[in-house]
Amino acid sequence: MNGALAVARYTLLELSRRRILLVFFILGALGIVCLGVGLKILYSVASSQGSFSAPDVDPAAFNRFLELAFVNYVFSALGVFGLLIAFAIGMTAIYHDLESGAAVSIFAKPVSRFAFAAGKIGGAVTALVLIVGVLALETRFVMFLFGGGLEGSLTGEAAAVVANTMVVMLIVLALSTWMNNIVAAVVAFVYYNVITGVIAFVHSLADNGAINNNVVKTIFDVLYWLVPHELVSSAPGDLARAQIAMSPAQAGNSALAAIPQASGSGEIAWWAFVVVFFAGMVYYAIRRRQV
Amino acid sequence: MAVVSVERLRKRYRRRDPWAVDGVTFELEPGQAFGLLGPNGSGKTSIVKMIAGLLRPDEGTVQLFGSDPGQPASRREMGFAPEDPDFPKFLRAGEVLDYFASLLGLDETDRKRRIPETLEFAGLDKERRHIRQFSKGMKQRLGIAQAILGRPKLLILDEPTADLDPLGRRDVRALIDRLKDSGVAILLNSHLLSEVELVCDTVAILAKGRVLKEGTMAEVVPEGRNLEDVFVELIQANTPQHDQLPSFITEQDKS
Repeated sequence: MNGALAVARYTLLELSRRRILLVFFILGALGIVCLGVGLKILYSVASSQGSFSAPDVDPAAFNRFLELAFVNYVFSALGVFGLLIAFAIGMTAIYHDLESGAAVSIFAKPVSRFAFAAGKIGGAVTALVLIVGVLALETRFVMFLFGGGLEGSLTGEAAAVVANTMVVMLIVLALSTWMNNIVAAVVAFVYYNVITGVIAFVHSLADNGAINNNVVKTIFDVLYWLVPHELVSSAPGDLARAQIAMSPAQAGNSALAAIPQASGSGEIAWWAFVVVFFAGMVYYAIRRRQV
Repeated sequence: MAVVSVERLRKRYRRRDPWAVDGVTFELEPGQAFGLLGPNGSGKTSIVKMIAGLLRPDEGTVQLFGSDPGQPASRREMGFAPEDPDFPKFLRAGEVLDYFASLLGLDETDRKRRIPETLEFAGLDKERRHIRQFSKGMKQRLGIAQAILGRPKLLILDEPTADLDPLGRRDVRALIDRLKDSGVAILLNSHLLSEVELVCDTVAILAKGRVLKEGTMAEVVPEGRNLEDVFVELIQANTPQHDQLPSFITEQDKS
């Protein structure tokens, strides 16, 4: 236990001094502020000149639309910068100890490989939560620039970003104990963002009745439960409901049915399983590693 | 009980590779200084890494204080200074020692006393830079410092003076003498035969993973000869020699 805590503590200290992480954090912080301020200026100018709206659109409804669009952008920015930070942590937290030879001195100490893996994962997750937490706090302040009334959704969205990026980070951590860290990041990106993304997309099409072929549906049902699922907060649903509320007359049953649902307990349980699985992979790789 | 007991140890890194370590057997007693000698690639580092629990043997057994070195508890009283040591790059020397002291389970009082003294011994007490800015010699001194931090009963030194200046080498020799006197067992891997001759009681000369000769210094080095002569003679007799210079070196300049 003490060994794991020591590894976690010094992993966190080292990560706090890594330039790549600092650069991504600064990029994230500046990006969110610039996005907020930039959109505010752009929308204020456009809104006052009426360049975005048709003459028959109610200005109050148009402003509401702008507010919701802003919330959408800023939540997306949080997700993108969270992902970058997860990659940066995953690429550096274990790989450099193994490649530089630092692991030789560490593993010769009376610390188990399990404690080392647990400490590394603990330190990496703490760093991720802290950084995404600070960016979420900053997002909250930037949201004062606009209304939107979706401030309550931010907590759930930040939690979803942490949960999703944690999976990516664990995949990169596990792969980087076997291969070069850049290759690990590319493989993780292709696996999580491309392959998993395509499977989830086709699965959702099949679920919505867009695919009628039963064989294809079954294949993608199986594939869907073999890959990590991105957790969805209530924010996309809240945004969709707010947009529908702007023009209730045009909102049919199909629009209401298409409102994205927040992840349920099944999805959260699957996420927990995936996290435990990849954390186990990290431990297995470290345990097998001869230095 | 022997501090280290190695029996018919064998190791290779790939199935088709020749054995890196091939049937090595020896024991190390408390207070003994044992030197492992051999040319590059003779298996010295593989042997010490198996003793330190960093590599798994393919055949044979290693006992460290009577236990499997893979068990963390068996490494509690072992200090290991690796060849070309490195450390987490964004930490400072004091932080590295504090990190390793935590892994050794040292309490706050011990840490406060031992870390500054160890840093001073290593000549790194005034160093504030991160490890990534350290020279090879500074890393080597830190490598030795972290190895002695836990007051080990076995100190494994793998080429400990390769990157040290003459003063650093003298300090390491003095350290080995002091530790030996206090009953600490020393396992020394070194190319510097004069150094081994000065500090070791027992030596084993290896080539291609096999022990060619083993015994006390008096048994291995006959009267009137030195360790270097014996070493060169043994290695030349057991391994093919490549002492021919490349032809272009001796070619006359045509211009």
